[in-house]
Amino acid sequence: MNERLFPPFPVYRSAVTLACGLVLTVGLALAAAAAEVDLERGGEIYADRCAACHGDQGQGVAGNFPDPLIGDSSIVELADLITATMPEGEPEECVGDDSLAVASFMYEAFYSETAQQRLIPPRAALARLTAEQHRQSVSDIFAHFMGRADLKSERGLTATYFDHPGWRNEKKVLTRTDPNVDVDYGQASPGEGMEDERFAVYWSGALLPPETGTYLLRARGQGSFIVKFIDTGEKLFDNHVSSGEMAEHVTTVELVGGRLYPISVDLIKRERKTGNVDISLTLSWKPPRGIEEPIPTRYLVPGWAPTAFAPQAPMPPDDRSAGYVRGTTISRQWDDATTAVALEFADALVSKVWPKYVKDQAKKKDAPEGRDLLKKFCHELVEVAFRRPVDEAEMQRIVDDQFEATSDDDEVLRRVTLLTLKSPRFLYPTLDGDASVEHRRAGRLALVLWDSIPDASLREAADKGWLGDPKAVRERARRMLDDPRARAKTLKGLHEWLDLDRWEEISKNTESFPGFDEPLVADLRGSLDRFLEAVIWSETSDFRQLLQADWSYTTDRIAEFYGESWAPTGEDSDGRFSRTESDGAVRAGVVTHPLMMSALAYEDASAPIFRGVFLMRHLLGRMIRPPADAFSPLSPDLHPDLTTRQRVALQTSPASCQSCHTRINGLGFTLEGFDAVGRLRQEERGQPIDATGNYIDRLGQRIEFAGAADLTSYLAVSDDVVAAFIKRLFLHFVKHPVGAYGENRLDELQTSFLESGYNVKELLVEMAVIAADGPVPPPST
Amino acid sequence: MTRFTSRREFLRHSGITAASLPFLMNLSSLGWASTTERRKRLVVIFTPNGVVPKSFWPDEEGRLESLKQSLQPLESMKDKTLVLHGVNDKIRGDGDSHMRGIACLLTGIELYPGDVQGGSHTPAGWAKGISLDQHLKNLLQADPTTRTRFGSLEFGVMVPERADTWTRLCYAGPNQPVSPIDNPYLMFDKLYGQVKNRQTVASVLDSLHEDFAKVQGYLSAEDRQLLERHAAMVRQLEQEINLEQQAAEASQDDDQDVGHAVPEITAGVERDNDNMPQLSKMQIDLMVNSFAADFNRIATLQYTNSVGGAKMRWIGIDEGHHALSHEPNSNDEAMDKLTKINQWFCEQVAYLAKRLDETPEPGGEGSMLDHTTIVWTNELGEGNSHTLNNIPFVLVGGGLGFQMGRSMKCKGTPHNRLLLSIAEGMGHPLETFGNPDYCGDGPLTGLNG
Repeated sequence: MNERLFPPFPVYRSAVTLACGLVLTVGLALAAAAAEVDLERGGEIYADRCAACHGDQGQGVAGNFPDPLIGDSSIVELADLITATMPEGEPEECVGDDSLAVASFMYEAFYSETAQQRLIPPRAALARLTAEQHRQSVSDIFAHFMGRADLKSERGLTATYFDHPGWRNEKKVLTRTDPNVDVDYGQASPGEGMEDERFAVYWSGALLPPETGTYLLRARGQGSFIVKFIDTGEKLFDNHVSSGEMAEHVTTVELVGGRLYPISVDLIKRERKTGNVDISLTLSWKPPRGIEEPIPTRYLVPGWAPTAFAPQAPMPPDDRSAGYVRGTTISRQWDDATTAVALEFADALVSKVWPKYVKDQAKKKDAPEGRDLLKKFCHELVEVAFRRPVDEAEMQRIVDDQFEATSDDDEVLRRVTLLTLKSPRFLYPTLDGDASVEHRRAGRLALVLWDSIPDASLREAADKGWLGDPKAVRERARRMLDDPRARAKTLKGLHEWLDLDRWEEISKNTESFPGFDEPLVADLRGSLDRFLEAVIWSETSDFRQLLQADWSYTTDRIAEFYGESWAPTGEDSDGRFSRTESDGAVRAGVVTHPLMMSALAYEDASAPIFRGVFLMRHLLGRMIRPPADAFSPLSPDLHPDLTTRQRVALQTSPASCQSCHTRINGLGFTLEGFDAVGRLRQEERGQPIDATGNYIDRLGQRIEFAGAADLTSYLAVSDDVVAAFIKRLFLHFVKHPVGAYGENRLDELQTSFLESGYNVKELLVEMAVIAADGPVPPPST
Repeated sequence: MTRFTSRREFLRHSGITAASLPFLMNLSSLGWASTTERRKRLVVIFTPNGVVPKSFWPDEEGRLESLKQSLQPLESMKDKTLVLHGVNDKIRGDGDSHMRGIACLLTGIELYPGDVQGGSHTPAGWAKGISLDQHLKNLLQADPTTRTRFGSLEFGVMVPERADTWTRLCYAGPNQPVSPIDNPYLMFDKLYGQVKNRQTVASVLDSLHEDFAKVQGYLSAEDRQLLERHAAMVRQLEQEINLEQQAAEASQDDDQDVGHAVPEITAGVERDNDNMPQLSKMQIDLMVNSFAADFNRIATLQYTNSVGGAKMRWIGIDEGHHALSHEPNSNDEAMDKLTKINQWFCEQVAYLAKRLDETPEPGGEGSMLDHTTIVWTNELGEGNSHTLNNIPFVLVGGGLGFQMGRSMKCKGTPHNRLLLSIAEGMGHPLETFGNPDYCGDGPLTGLNG
């Protein structure tokens, strides 16, 4: 299948002593099997001919060549480049053994990733809660007191029907689970046993947003209706008084992904002296980056859910300059936002949590009363937020001092909340030097898997010393993974892996691609998400399926645009999405998914360079320098006879482009069988599609591909892809580079991942186990 | 429409984030809008279930000589009082008299058909138009010289916790009832929450510094830098709050700025029928404070709701107000109680008038009452007949520039014309308001003497 141009290079490890006396373990790829590479000579040549422009450690020299010489090309590629281009203007002066010696020296001294890790050891810098972690954590402090709904596997809303314009038990007709609220009864009754003139329907359950962001909610209908949301006691939409005309209520609200927010809807028809009227009601939403539609069944959970807390104060976006969201920067704006959320939380404590606590405690024997009860409540609040028991002196400062300072109980609650939620102990979760090992592990497990604080069960495990050995931690992590917060975080991590967040909007030329509209893109997003979740949360959780599966999820709309092979089978259906048939010619996991293919394309044409860069950087985890200049793609109109592939080849033919573009184009061209919207094509501009390509791996080995199927088969088992996937997920879940947790951690994770049969769930568990013990302290120098 | 906590509500409505709050507490940029034009304020007070005519209306037109029992509390204010008899709510259509009585009172327009069914008449929905208070608020807010922080505030006392045609007086537009705030603590929070928040934040900063200092010890030198920067931000916040407090104190020393002080509010008064007198006083005090701070130029104060059933045990009446109001005129005991009930309501009006009269107009001439007109009104003329004729309109204060100290007989004039007069008095004359059919001859004549 993969025809290899070169036989694999012999690779061996050897210890080479450098002039400076450093002992290095090196992996060398040698062109001539037996030749000893003279690193010393390489170092001399570098110092003599290169250091002036590139710096003695390849760090760059301002005014000459400022960029550091780091990367992941093989020594042979590096040597070839030196032979062809260096020293500048006189490349003939460093060729053959000399260029190989320089390349080897650079590789070992500073160029390679290993060298960089040695020069600048990765460390887990102190980090605050990210905005997501902050929201999850405060929401869970609230949930600690108010309760949490069980996440059932059933979806939809519990519906109770009455033959009476209101809740009256003896008039109850039936209770069942409805897919959502989207009804139009006209002048009739909702069903048997109810009169046309008067009835009531109550829907209840919870909303489960898939990701964090701003959601628009809209209730539109005729008739008397009331919608309650987040707070079970507060009306979000009150259309109790109805004119019989179409009424519409709309609002936007910030929600956190993977949390359950209670929702209930009352729809009532009262008998009118003025005659029968129409009754209808649709509850719809517009999720972040989605389209407005009746809330899909899979985001509704039937049954009971308690009042939740949804902080609305805006948080400034976190740093994601390193490709993942992390809390390593602080700003005044952020500090003010934490104050705003703390005050918002204090309000909720005063008005909702504390009154409920008083009620609950009143049922208990020997519960303290009055201010003693309030003190107990405050102590609990502090320990839950700090993820560990808090010593007496600290409690005195945070809680007891406030009781002495003011006689106003609400004010005590506000002050304690501020001191708790603005404390570095809450905001910097790894600032846990005073906690026991078990509590540290509990805190980190919750942070890594849930972006939140430990729940009651996890806290208990820490209190009782049940998190002593890795086996117990692993078992705990495995259980914690089965949680909507973990699922939402995983989906987000996969989006980061696929760089999906970059494409807020995907649009195409409407003349060339009629029907490729916003609703279709929303369906494609839904299709990809369902596919990702189906693979990850299946029994085998097989990573290779992500790259190779010949099935996906589809809707009628997708089938209409993409044709027969995308027809819904009705299997594993949630009312809108269902599975496709297997079809290996059309589908190979995420890479060829129409969403990815159309995102990685221009309005009118495919974009082999985008696709190649994506495959290099994101899937294979390779470094590519940005282009020397900004280029616009050659216009197809100027080259009417050329295919996209030919145009790209023409534009990137100059030698200055080729060092990177041989690698980029070779990958991107393999996907030329998919056009700008990801539809399969056999020809372009009257010429048959050429989807052949190649890839040179880290060891300098070149792999040939006949097309997309070859590519994805290779990707599914490529060490580069696996390593890149692990590194990226680790960054997403743990927020620190895996190297900070030990030199060999990446290798260990990679080995266990392969041994588990590429099981992603197990990989996440292993990551959590590693993270639970914290980073290794950087070597003291 | 969506309500979360009041503070959040406030942030959203003001469009100001916590980050930009520093000087919001003084609100000097939004308050004190006009220094050239004479400031005018309007208060509408709503009380339910009609009045007892014989103990309410002055017998004669002209100068107010003596007041009947229901209006006794205004005795000392009678020179500043104008009683309008013979103003009729002529709006008909869907809804019972209580519904139309309250919902058409300030809107001057019919109700939409709907499914709120009273004891009689057809069912109805919300009013078809904006209410005058909201309309004037929009006009005032559109003009930079009269713009204030809130424009208008909607106060309530024991308004039932349900939204229907009987419980809503104000409308932001057709089908858009405005909920009054009947919890003084929520109103306080709306007015002063941020100031209170800043004070609370200030009170914990020392302790927070201690916390930062302690955890520094767990950190490497590199990580300590980040935490030190964070601690510096907390110190910066402290300095800002100190500056704000100095500025606030300075402005309190200045006589002109009486309104900037955060008032004290009695803690722990539950929203309960028997606490109505306290709740009423708290709301009125907050209203006076909000005017003094120039947070708003318009206020409404709604006691219970149309059909309201307050039990005024504090004046010895155990029956619900609405039930009593159905009693015939021949029931002397009931008439006596209803008279007392209205007398109690009148005391509230008089208390507000007195408070305003005692407070010098900030940055202006005379008292705040000289710049404010209180309009005390009702959804019915008389409770037992449910008539919408002779709707009580008792005006107190000089805000609208009417000639006060009088009793006028308006002989069945549609109340829309009075609404036009109020708009004109507030400096925004209108051709019509509500249903134009009842605006025929324009504003009421004779109000200016």
